[in-house]
Amino acid sequence: MRIPILKLYEYLLITIQVELDDRTAIQFQEDLLDKIHETGAKGVVIDLTTVDMIDSYIAKILDDVVKMSALLGAKVVLTGIRPAVAITLIDLGINLKGVPTSLDLEKGLEKLQQELEG
Amino acid sequence: MPVIKYIKDNKEDIVTLWKKQMDEERPEYSNYTVPHKTMETANENFIDVIFDYLNGNGGESSEGVNVFIEQILQFGWPLSYLTSGLQVFRKVVMDVIDKNVTEAKDLLGLYKRTDAIIDPIFNQLIKDATETWEHTVSMQKSALLELSAPLIPIMEHISVMPLIGTIDTERAKLIMENLLQGVIDHGAEVVLIDITGVPVVDTMVAHHIIQASEAVRLVGSECILVGIRPEIAQTIVNLGIELGEFPTRSTLRKGIETALEMTKRKIINIAQEDGQ
Repeated sequence: MRIPILKLYEYLLITIQVELDDRTAIQFQEDLLDKIHETGAKGVVIDLTTVDMIDSYIAKILDDVVKMSALLGAKVVLTGIRPAVAITLIDLGINLKGVPTSLDLEKGLEKLQQELEG
Repeated sequence: MPVIKYIKDNKEDIVTLWKKQMDEERPEYSNYTVPHKTMETANENFIDVIFDYLNGNGGESSEGVNVFIEQILQFGWPLSYLTSGLQVFRKVVMDVIDKNVTEAKDLLGLYKRTDAIIDPIFNQLIKDATETWEHTVSMQKSALLELSAPLIPIMEHISVMPLIGTIDTERAKLIMENLLQGVIDHGAEVVLIDITGVPVVDTMVAHHIIQASEAVRLVGSECILVGIRPEIAQTIVNLGIELGEFPTRSTLRKGIETALEMTKRKIINIAQEDGQ
């Protein structure tokens, strides 16, 4: 299964609406990096509002994606992480340091805009 | 010889003796300033209830006893009033039996049977009392839980969570849940955690606070720790706790100013603006 990546001006939007398993996540990582390379996008918003569970492996992949995208010159913002997911991550000892986060998609885009301007 | 009949036959004696002894026992629980008159009425009731209970041949009709126990406990009288009342009753009955019966074998039998009558009352008493207390404790627990971690939206995008009292693991969990849910519900971009009312910040408490603020960051908001008193700052540094990850301020006021800055707003003085 592939997660759709939408292009909006110089940003890429991804809403993850399926349960992330390991293969989907790896596929997503590749797809996103290809897409960034292809479009030269400056910012990426990954929306996790509908994600109920994130395990340590998925968390690592997300963390990696952010770092890899930075190497390609794109800033990534994670949005809409649910309280339960946040608590699980913290309990697992994953704090995703250095990954920008926002409450929702709208604020995520605002944040990207600010960072790219500033 | 049935012991109940015996007690009933000697009712007069027993009641008089019991009342006399109860009066002597009074100092034990006299820190509850109860008027003498009330005490007497209570004693009257008490002995009546005991005899009513005996009339029901013990065991069957414990209704009256239950009601009386509940009443006493509701008034907030000490449990020792009831226990000493029963103990005195037992003692008095034994004394009366002792005076009238000389045969050692009979005496022992009577003692045993008296015990068999009084013990159920004791059990009932303890059961009722503990139930009342457990109820009170659970009520207070839930009340405390409600008070323990409120999140107050003070203005758009800014919320405050004032923490008062010690923080244990259970409460920390509740704080975290309320905090995150509140952030989502109110759409708060900045949350101020006020620890003015937290008496001690040790490694454990600091750990909980750091975890909570990291979780807040994950859901896409930011945390400011406010209300750090000088002695708290000292303990934090002495314990080697690293709080550098997120901003801290000494007072809620300064925290709000910072929060406004972070959301690109500020408080202006209208009078001054007019004057210019």
